[in-house]
Amino acid sequence: MATSTTVARSGTARQRSLARREALTAYAFIAPYLIIAGIFTVALLVYAFYISFTDLKSSLQRSSNFIGISNYINAFRDSEFQISLINVFWYFVIVTTFQTIGAVAVAMLLNAKLRGQRLYRTLFYAPSVASSAVISMIFLWLYLRTGWINYFLGTDIAWINDARGLFQLIFAPFGVKITSTFLKGPSITWMALMAMNIFTTIPSLMVIFLAALQDIPSYVYEAAEIDGSTGLHAFFNITLPLLRPVITLVIVLGTIGTFQVFDQAFIMTKGGPLKSTLTPVLLIYTKTLGEGTSSNAALAAAMAFILAVIIFFFTYIQRRYIESSSERF
Amino acid sequence: MAVSIEQRPLAVSSRRGSPRPSVSVVLRYILITVLAILVFMPFILSFLGTFKTNPEVTAYPPTFLPREWHPENWAQTWSVEISGAGQYVFARWFFNSFWLAVVNMVTQLFFCSLAAYAFARMRFPGKDLIFAFIIASMAIPGAVTLIPGYVFFAKLGWINTYWPLIVPKLVVPFGIFMLTQFFKSIPRELEEAAYIDGASRFRTYWNVAMPLSRPALITLAIIQFQGSWNDFLGPLLYLRDAKLLTLTVGLNFFKTQYAVEWNKILVGSMFNAIPILIIFFIFNKYYMEGASYSGLAGQ
Repeated sequence: MATSTTVARSGTARQRSLARREALTAYAFIAPYLIIAGIFTVALLVYAFYISFTDLKSSLQRSSNFIGISNYINAFRDSEFQISLINVFWYFVIVTTFQTIGAVAVAMLLNAKLRGQRLYRTLFYAPSVASSAVISMIFLWLYLRTGWINYFLGTDIAWINDARGLFQLIFAPFGVKITSTFLKGPSITWMALMAMNIFTTIPSLMVIFLAALQDIPSYVYEAAEIDGSTGLHAFFNITLPLLRPVITLVIVLGTIGTFQVFDQAFIMTKGGPLKSTLTPVLLIYTKTLGEGTSSNAALAAAMAFILAVIIFFFTYIQRRYIESSSERF
Repeated sequence: MAVSIEQRPLAVSSRRGSPRPSVSVVLRYILITVLAILVFMPFILSFLGTFKTNPEVTAYPPTFLPREWHPENWAQTWSVEISGAGQYVFARWFFNSFWLAVVNMVTQLFFCSLAAYAFARMRFPGKDLIFAFIIASMAIPGAVTLIPGYVFFAKLGWINTYWPLIVPKLVVPFGIFMLTQFFKSIPRELEEAAYIDGASRFRTYWNVAMPLSRPALITLAIIQFQGSWNDFLGPLLYLRDAKLLTLTVGLNFFKTQYAVEWNKILVGSMFNAIPILIIFFIFNKYYMEGASYSGLAGQ
């Protein structure tokens, strides 16, 4: 016979054991993730960080010695790494700028009162489901000396093998000769790859912007119209500020993506001509897998962490800047 | 969460104003059509290129339609022989890509949804902390960890096997994040009823929550299938034998062997592009939802 107090006590005890059972079940549900993330995210990162402080030259090497931060110092002194950082910086600036502006423009165009909007949206999005390998192959063919790009533009440029830099070309008519690798600007080949990437990324970003544009209620524009704000004025004072979170997202994702560009450079140029399309990830790849003396896995790991810090730095600045400037509204 | 684009009110109400289309509307249509053609042009040109002879596909000035149609280019490329990989390499690579993408997709659907269910519906100590870790780990630049990871996998003896392409991807943070958001958006009542009727947590998840989540699961399945099918760096790093390659890396390998046969390289590109384009046109509604999910992930 249970008295009322024992019933109450056993009630809480039962609740506690139920809560414990639920927690145990929940841990069982997330156990696969915890194990995989524990090994392939945490342990792998710790291990990669560790080897960046050793003299490990290749993955085949059995033992290695701890040598402190010298890999990080050597990475900054490495002229190839310097070149690759400058290349990827141009790539980041030009590609993220143009693909964001282009995507907003196309989204504005598609957001108008048009029939068959779904069809257009589908058509625009389709090319961006193709793999970077396919895009690279197709454009390699389009960029041939005898290819469609030269035909359309009426030019005769070896797009994939032209190391002349942007600033060299701009200043040449004024008799200024730029020979420094660091000052000559992105090469024609590098800009050809940028153009390809902008062209193929705009459609998918456009879909993100379009979804955001359609979330803006029409009464906002109606109210603005009454106050005399239409057209460009409404675009800069209503649409753009409301798109701010999405623009931030697209720029941040663009930054992360462009700084890690690899596939296109590996398939189309292997970093050439004259290292003008050498990217940090391409360099890290060659140093990790390269044969013989060029292989330096520890140095490559150090470069990878430096690149990660650079990416975090830029995305952090972007978030801070865009968030703080939104406080004015 | 997960409002499909179709349900959203259009920013500009569509059927208002004059029935006669104005000049600017016509101009817009023309502009959009031109843009859509332009966006598709690389695919149209290369698709037509697959039917040309090799001299024609690289001739100047380029021809739009093939002078003579050579559909046998497709069969020849499909059955092409490469030393070390035997005949029908493209068929082999196609098959490798396909089963790898299916394995990645199925394991991720199961393990991600299982974890997501715990995060959305159950209480356990450390939940918020682990979820914060999941979100933080999505911000780790992929290529940056992938390549130093090579040494890690080399020590495990996993080079030239599919393990590095399967095991670390059994369950991915993005999938957990996305499905957690979705599970939170569906009403609990049905699950609670099943739970009170004596169904175990697993049965409630499997028999009640999962069937209700079909749209989100399809969206995730498509995103992950495409990610695996299109992956280049992963297979490039870990697969060595020509026989084991996937279609993307195989295509690049083929290019180095048959550098001047552009018609065949373009056919190979089509083997990779066409299946994913077909999937896109069938499931295009879910793609648009995926795009808005990727929008949510960053906010």
